[in-house]
Amino acid sequence: MQTRMGYDRLLGTVARIGRVTEVTLEHAGSITLLAWQVVLATARMKVAAREVVNQLYIMGIQSLPIVLVTGSLAGIVTSQQGGYQMSSVVPPYILGSLVVETVVLEMGPVLTALVLVGRIGARITAELGTMVVSEQIDAYHSLGRDPVALLAAPRVLAGILALPLLVGIANIVGILAGQLAAEIDSGLGWESFFYGAKLFWHSWDLFYSLTKAMIFGLAIPLISVHMGLRTKGGAEGVGRTTTQAVMFMTLTILILDAVFPPLLLN
Amino acid sequence: MIHYQHVWKSFDQPVLAGVDLEVATGEMFALFGPSGTGKSVLLKTTIGLITPDRGDVSVAGISVHRAGREALEEVRKKVGYVFQNAALFDSQNVFGNVTMGLPEDELRRLSNREVARRVWESLELVNLEPHAVLSKIPAELSGGMRKRVGIARAIVGRPEVLLWDEPTTGLDPVNTAAVERLIKRLSDDLEVTSLLVTHDVEGGLLMCDRVAMLDGGVVRFCGTPDEFHACPDPLVQAFIHREAAEAALSSIAAVS
Ligand SMILES: Nc1ncnc2c1ncn2[C@@H]1O[C@H](COP(=O)(O)OP(=O)(O)OP(=O)(O)O)[C@@H](O)[C@H]1O
Ligand SMILES: [Mg+2]
Repeated sequence: MQTRMGYDRLLGTVARIGRVTEVTLEHAGSITLLAWQVVLATARMKVAAREVVNQLYIMGIQSLPIVLVTGSLAGIVTSQQGGYQMSSVVPPYILGSLVVETVVLEMGPVLTALVLVGRIGARITAELGTMVVSEQIDAYHSLGRDPVALLAAPRVLAGILALPLLVGIANIVGILAGQLAAEIDSGLGWESFFYGAKLFWHSWDLFYSLTKAMIFGLAIPLISVHMGLRTKGGAEGVGRTTTQAVMFMTLTILILDAVFPPLLLN
Repeated sequence: MIHYQHVWKSFDQPVLAGVDLEVATGEMFALFGPSGTGKSVLLKTTIGLITPDRGDVSVAGISVHRAGREALEEVRKKVGYVFQNAALFDSQNVFGNVTMGLPEDELRRLSNREVARRVWESLELVNLEPHAVLSKIPAELSGGMRKRVGIARAIVGRPEVLLWDEPTTGLDPVNTAAVERLIKRLSDDLEVTSLLVTHDVEGGLLMCDRVAMLDGGVVRFCGTPDEFHACPDPLVQAFIHREAAEAALSSIAAVS
């Protein structure tokens, strides 16, 4: 009896894993297809430059304030945490290296991406979801227009361009804020901070940071457009899909972030 | 012109269960039916917005669901669609919305002046004051105005076929008359084929060459307005006479 129940439970678990895998693969498949359609629309020059600029403004310029705030906080927190954990054995200028590397490699790209998930990803899903349930997407089709070229492609292109820029800015303010915090906390001066930073710096680090940013900048609009376009069932459906999309994007960012080091940091 | 061949579609429940219907070129055809029987679904299968589970639709001899992407684009170019809820693009003003009704290649060819003239003309045809509405966004319009902008968008590209999903529902009598006159004029003067879904049975019977009744997923009646009047089917009678509808209602109440 006992083993029988255990067996059933095991079967149930296997079935659940199977279902989750199936759903994940299905999403991955249609996201890949969407990406391909965006590439085609772009290559065929069907994407309006004006709409890309418009989206760049929304994603880039309008996100600047929040990116500046998170960037500096990331630098400050890293600097404080690092300063606290440093023992008297290592020279104090090592803190400079610690802050710069942590901000550039991790905190800058990941925090900026997570902020953009909330600010941009959720907005895109809700916007497109509303267009689906109010039949505006159907209307585009009925008029022979391609929603991928009109709506998806400009958002994806703007994401790819905007994220590296924003991450670059977040990195800079993060480093500056981190240096300031180090100065206030432990009196580590400007020169020793950057002496330490330069000691372990590779230009590859910046490339890594911005590549990561670009891939996050591709993932956020792709996932949010994909989720928006499969919205079903009125205002409630839009709410449900938006929440799912935010979860989905957050997880993707974190998973990609874990996949990056073995691929690019060897 | 439009040929529905055994169209089946189920969502959670069966909606269309083998619809066969043919609308001739230049004909004005009205489709009646109780709410929720799938009239909008059937119209959407005509331009591939919904894919039937079984069966096919052809427009001007082109298969909508079997002949691939380019054929579908060809069909969509020929057909104008008036959505039940207008479905205006809410980020664009009225001018932008109606301009979208012009096919892309035509937009490239026409001068700005010519585009503006076409948009202006279509708005006037639906009894809207162009200069008063052109720069308004949909949220600033009344329901009836939105509906008419939706019609203007569907006709501005001068399609050969027009699918009207309840174009007069929610309009005042004057604008109803204006839209009805427009439908009639398009069909009389320009030989446009019109398939009209409407709850205004009286209007439909007066205007149209033939009418059909959709119920239970199939075409329950199809014929001329005279044949419709003479049809003994209780549902048909309920659609013609108020008293018959009352009787149908009480028999439904008695059953449940
Ligand atoms: N995209 C969809 N997904 C799921 N169910 C749908 C969808 N579209 C329509 N339905 C269902 O199909 C049925 C027919 O809907 P449809 O909108 O065609 O009715 P209708 O005849 O146009 O009614 P009305 O006169 O009220 O407009 C309804 O039960 C509806 O719930
Ligand atoms: Mg309907």
